[in-house]
Amino acid sequence: MSSAETNAAARIRVRGLAKRYGAFEVFRDVAFDVGQREVVTIVGASGCGKTTLLRCLDGLLPADGGEIWIDAQRLAAPIAGVAMVFQHFGLFPWKTVYDNVAYGLRMAGASREEIGRRVPHFIALVGLAGFEQAYPYQMSGGMQQRCGLARALAIDPAVLLMDEPFAAVDAQTREILQFELLRIWEGKPTSMIFVTHSIEEAVLMGDRVFVLKGRPSRVAETIAIDLPRPRTRATLRLPRFAELRERVWSTLMSEARQAEFQLSGG
Amino acid sequence: MVDSTMPVDPAAAVGKNARAGDALVARLIAGAVILCGWEIVVRLSAPAFVAKPSTIAMAIPRVLVDPAFLASAAATLAGVVEGLAIALVVGTIIGLAIGRSRLVDVTLRLYVNIFYALPMLVVVPLFALWFGYTGAARLVTVVFASVFSIIVNVADGARAVPQEYVEVARSFRAAPLRSLFDVVLPASTPYLLAGLRLAAGRALIGAVVAEFITAVSGIGYFILYNSRTYHESEAFVGVLVLAGFGVGFDSLVGWCTRRFLPWYRRDRGA
Ligand SMILES: Nc1ncnc2c1ncn2[C@@H]1O[C@H](COP(=O)(O)OP(=O)(O)O)[C@@H](O)[C@H]1O
Ligand SMILES: [Mg+2]
Repeated sequence: MSSAETNAAARIRVRGLAKRYGAFEVFRDVAFDVGQREVVTIVGASGCGKTTLLRCLDGLLPADGGEIWIDAQRLAAPIAGVAMVFQHFGLFPWKTVYDNVAYGLRMAGASREEIGRRVPHFIALVGLAGFEQAYPYQMSGGMQQRCGLARALAIDPAVLLMDEPFAAVDAQTREILQFELLRIWEGKPTSMIFVTHSIEEAVLMGDRVFVLKGRPSRVAETIAIDLPRPRTRATLRLPRFAELRERVWSTLMSEARQAEFQLSGG
Repeated sequence: MVDSTMPVDPAAAVGKNARAGDALVARLIAGAVILCGWEIVVRLSAPAFVAKPSTIAMAIPRVLVDPAFLASAAATLAGVVEGLAIALVVGTIIGLAIGRSRLVDVTLRLYVNIFYALPMLVVVPLFALWFGYTGAARLVTVVFASVFSIIVNVADGARAVPQEYVEVARSFRAAPLRSLFDVVLPASTPYLLAGLRLAAGRALIGAVVAEFITAVSGIGYFILYNSRTYHESEAFVGVLVLAGFGVGFDSLVGWCTRRFLPWYRRDRGA
């Protein structure tokens, strides 16, 4: 599936987005589209504003300039069709898996019947069947993020925002979760913006990789990932995968090197 | 390797048990020495009505079956529990409002701090004037004595709610008022419980002070009356029962925490 095709109908449109914290300008002139069934991954150095950008896209943080459109709706506050998966899971420790997953539905005013139907479905989908009554403290990081994912999926979002969702789990679990997320996404493709600092993950998950660079940062580079879907473990062994990984790597490294020289020079 | 040749853990466990046992023995000996010293000093140098461990021990069964005493104890306990319940509800609501709203905070903080610092001894006479020399004055005193610890602690807890939870709630479009009870309150529970324990101690003191001043019947008045009528040992039994209430309430809060808040403290590996 080419990016031209997935972009035919954009679900997310960002134009001239700017954000500053006081005098510190995080990003400026950020503009992009994301298709209805497209995965965009965003990579960039730590502190370049990836989380800030996602918080703007979720309506949690007002931008200082520019516009965000989700379908025909201009974003000013969190809206119903957008769900976020948080880096540190964001689970409520006083709620069981069941109640955490039901949270978004309850807040949306879903009926008892709907909650009773959807929650078990999504708990099973992320592989947590049998852990409905467990509390987050009783689960590993990987299981906690499965729960965070189920909570986001349960509200049937048109847009999924993922802020380094697997950064806080160990490498092995991370790989398992990547392929599970791919499987879930293939089952019901939606717009997804996936922030990561892993180049491999960016290439594996994305239809396009955005490289955030500069001070203030902007989308400096867009790399189309023309790997076939569905993506599986076999994808990792394709020569094309290695090529694309190298491209993203060199794009990021030129930035890192510049930053290094700027630091040592002044 | 070191681990396989040295059974460190069992040895350490035995050592720990032994130390705990030593501590218990030391504590019992210290208690016995204090009681014996008290007994000897009083026997040698004080009039017969002055309480000593032996007479207190003999008074215990007598007092504990005395219907007048039981009625007093029940009255005090009921006043304390009722007052604490009111303070818990009112204090939690005001505390949440102070903790989450800058406007409420700047409006109320000064007054809360003033009333929190005020010795209850000086307000009881006023309450007695306003509410009469009745159980109502005691109830108001208990609420006054306990509500501010809860307000102050809940407000601290509400301020300290991790930003992450607030953001998750907003992301899922939770109504702010609903989040106050659905997110802020549970996240503040550790503070609330600390406040409740403080409040319980202050509530007991408040009840006793109110009974001293208004002569409303209860354990406080029982202690005052008996010590004024040279029944010092009986008065001491009242003191012991009060201490029992304090310890009992603390255990109750601990038990409720484990029973109803299983998640609490577990995430910190305790
Ligand atoms: N609330 C805030 N106030 C001030 N500065 C912030 C705030 N949040 C983030 N920043 C700063 O903005 C920059 C981007 O942060 P962030 O979006 O978290 O970066 P990333 O997710 O890419 O690591 C960082 O330099 C960070 O220190
Ligand atoms: Mg981040």
